Amino acid sequence: MTTIEFFLAGTMSAATVFLLAALGELVAEKSGMLNLGVEGMMAVSAAVGFVVTYETGSHIVGFTVAGISGVLVSLIYAGVAITFLANQVATGLAVGILGLGLSALIGRQHESLTVEAAGGIYIPILSDIPLLGPAFFQHNIVVYLTLAIAVAIGYCLKHTRLGLAIRSVGENPNAAQALGYSVHLIRYGAVAFGGLLAGFAGAYASTIYTPLWADGMIAGRGWIAVALVVFGTWKTGRIILGAYLFGMVSLGELIAQSLGASIPSQLLSSMPYIVTIVVLAIISTNAARLKLHAPFALGESFDGSESK
Amino acid sequence: MKSLVKKLTKLSLALTVVGAFAHSTANAEPLEIGLLTPSPLADVGWSKALADGLDKVKAKHGDNVKINLVENIQEGPDAERIMNKMVGDGNKFLVLGSFGYMNGGLKLAKRNPNLSFVHASGYKVAKNFSPFTAKYFEGAYLMGMAAAELTKTKKLGVVSAFAIPELISTINGFTLGARSIDPEITVDVVWINSWFDPAKAQDSAKALIAGGSDVLFSNAQDTPSVVAVAEKAGVYVYNLNSSMKEYAPKKYLGVVKTDWAPFFMASVEAHMAGKFDGKNQWLGMKENTVVVEDWSSDISPDMMAKIKATEAAIASGEKHVYDGPIVNQEGKEVIPAGQRLEDGAILGMNWHVQGVNSPLPK
Repeated sequence: MTTIEFFLAGTMSAATVFLLAALGELVAEKSGMLNLGVEGMMAVSAAVGFVVTYETGSHIVGFTVAGISGVLVSLIYAGVAITFLANQVATGLAVGILGLGLSALIGRQHESLTVEAAGGIYIPILSDIPLLGPAFFQHNIVVYLTLAIAVAIGYCLKHTRLGLAIRSVGENPNAAQALGYSVHLIRYGAVAFGGLLAGFAGAYASTIYTPLWADGMIAGRGWIAVALVVFGTWKTGRIILGAYLFGMVSLGELIAQSLGASIPSQLLSSMPYIVTIVVLAIISTNAARLKLHAPFALGESFDGSESK
Repeated sequence: MKSLVKKLTKLSLALTVVGAFAHSTANAEPLEIGLLTPSPLADVGWSKALADGLDKVKAKHGDNVKINLVENIQEGPDAERIMNKMVGDGNKFLVLGSFGYMNGGLKLAKRNPNLSFVHASGYKVAKNFSPFTAKYFEGAYLMGMAAAELTKTKKLGVVSAFAIPELISTINGFTLGARSIDPEITVDVVWINSWFDPAKAQDSAKALIAGGSDVLFSNAQDTPSVVAVAEKAGVYVYNLNSSMKEYAPKKYLGVVKTDWAPFFMASVEAHMAGKFDGKNQWLGMKENTVVVEDWSSDISPDMMAKIKATEAAIASGEKHVYDGPIVNQEGKEVIPAGQRLEDGAILGMNWHVQGVNSPLPK
């Protein structure tokens, strides 16, 4: 694999972690639930996914159980923030910290072990094209499924009745309730879906992208996923772009160094964050548009009364 | 003691077994040794190397010592709280396993003059507080020689945490060793600017391999991230502290191991004798702290003999990795032939030797 092939292929691989988690967070936020516990959900699922894959030897079983564990952690958040009306920001942070601790406990016996990474797919002809083949058509199936999920979510939110229900709950829960939607049920569902995707993101990180378990290996990627949702102004297409841009920038840094580029590596390491700030600044110049996309009731608890 | 015996006699009337147990422990209070590590205690890595060192102390002194491990403690105020608690719990000899425990540990040492402390990678010294560091560059030099024989592309790659003197001098040692065999060899370095990010470490390793490196050095990475990638890609790899051969059965070049047992043993025994004397402990092959093992069988017997001879010369002090002439990255001679770089210059190293392609982060 040449450097350029690795750059393109690595970008897709790195972006998948961000994208899966960000898509889940997008759905949760669209329903008005700001879940800051993504990092913790990913960590728990990464640990669970790794342990299960290690013990069973099956990536599919590992992914499934990791997804379930992501849902379970997200339900802790949902229970406290939706049913008990606790502050969403504080609850999300608490669940995130809980998740990090829990992941260390779960992975305790498997610290620094490795598993065989799940292989990539092989498409006749396409995978054999020089340059493009290794770069785009030899990835693990999860990479392509993630893109498919992204398109499906984009379509669902925009064009289906379910999407409309989720959005209405996030924009104006009172109105949604008046229309006969169960605000709490929809929010539970959206948060759980977010947990599922965060779970897949964690499993992807610990069994395919970096096939080993080490406490703390998520290393802030959950936070980048949360930032990506804002970065993408709650639009699926932009979130995909953002995830790939992040993947590219974070990888480009390492490649630039390996090629001996004479740019300070600290500057390169901070590039993903600098890019975020710049793009956010550009997006925010049109405050009205940003507001238009942000779910109006994001972060607000809903107690069922219409007193507001 | 008398009253205790009396009490015991009384007790033993009713509780013979318990009385006997209490009596045996009352004979010799074990020395409690506390170890504080920055990362989880895995099967491999830095923390494991420290724990292994103490295991040997335990093996020798048996019931006279008791080891208490506290693992995965982040550097910072929380570490200070935990250190305080360890002292409160009765630990009399503390091994502080990370640079960032320095100031908190030193404060504690000053407050408790009867306790002894050894502290990894630091530079502050007190009467009962010794910093300890390994001369990794001695082992890395030998690895460079082996790498020089095995490389086909004449490009070596290093995945490295932060650009601090300890790591820089290790990379330079590696480079000097390789170029002592083949002066055409160059070394690429990727700084990931993180002590802990296995995903980034793996991507860096892949980037180096894609760029043509066919021997990798996993510099101060506590997980087998780089080692596993190298095995899969079919390039040679080595690492520091503890052997990761099981992660790369085919392509493992060897390990620059740190064996802390001799140093811990001497320090603990000095403490027991009341003779602990805090000073800067910079330990290498001579002290049997830096040990190179698990050599790949792909290295030719000729080269192996050369390596062994160099190892002996370094251990005896006859040869030093930083013997002149040494030329820096800009092509300027830092130390002329016949002279040796001073210890201070190695401990504070902030430049690369000739042959390292990558610029040093400033």
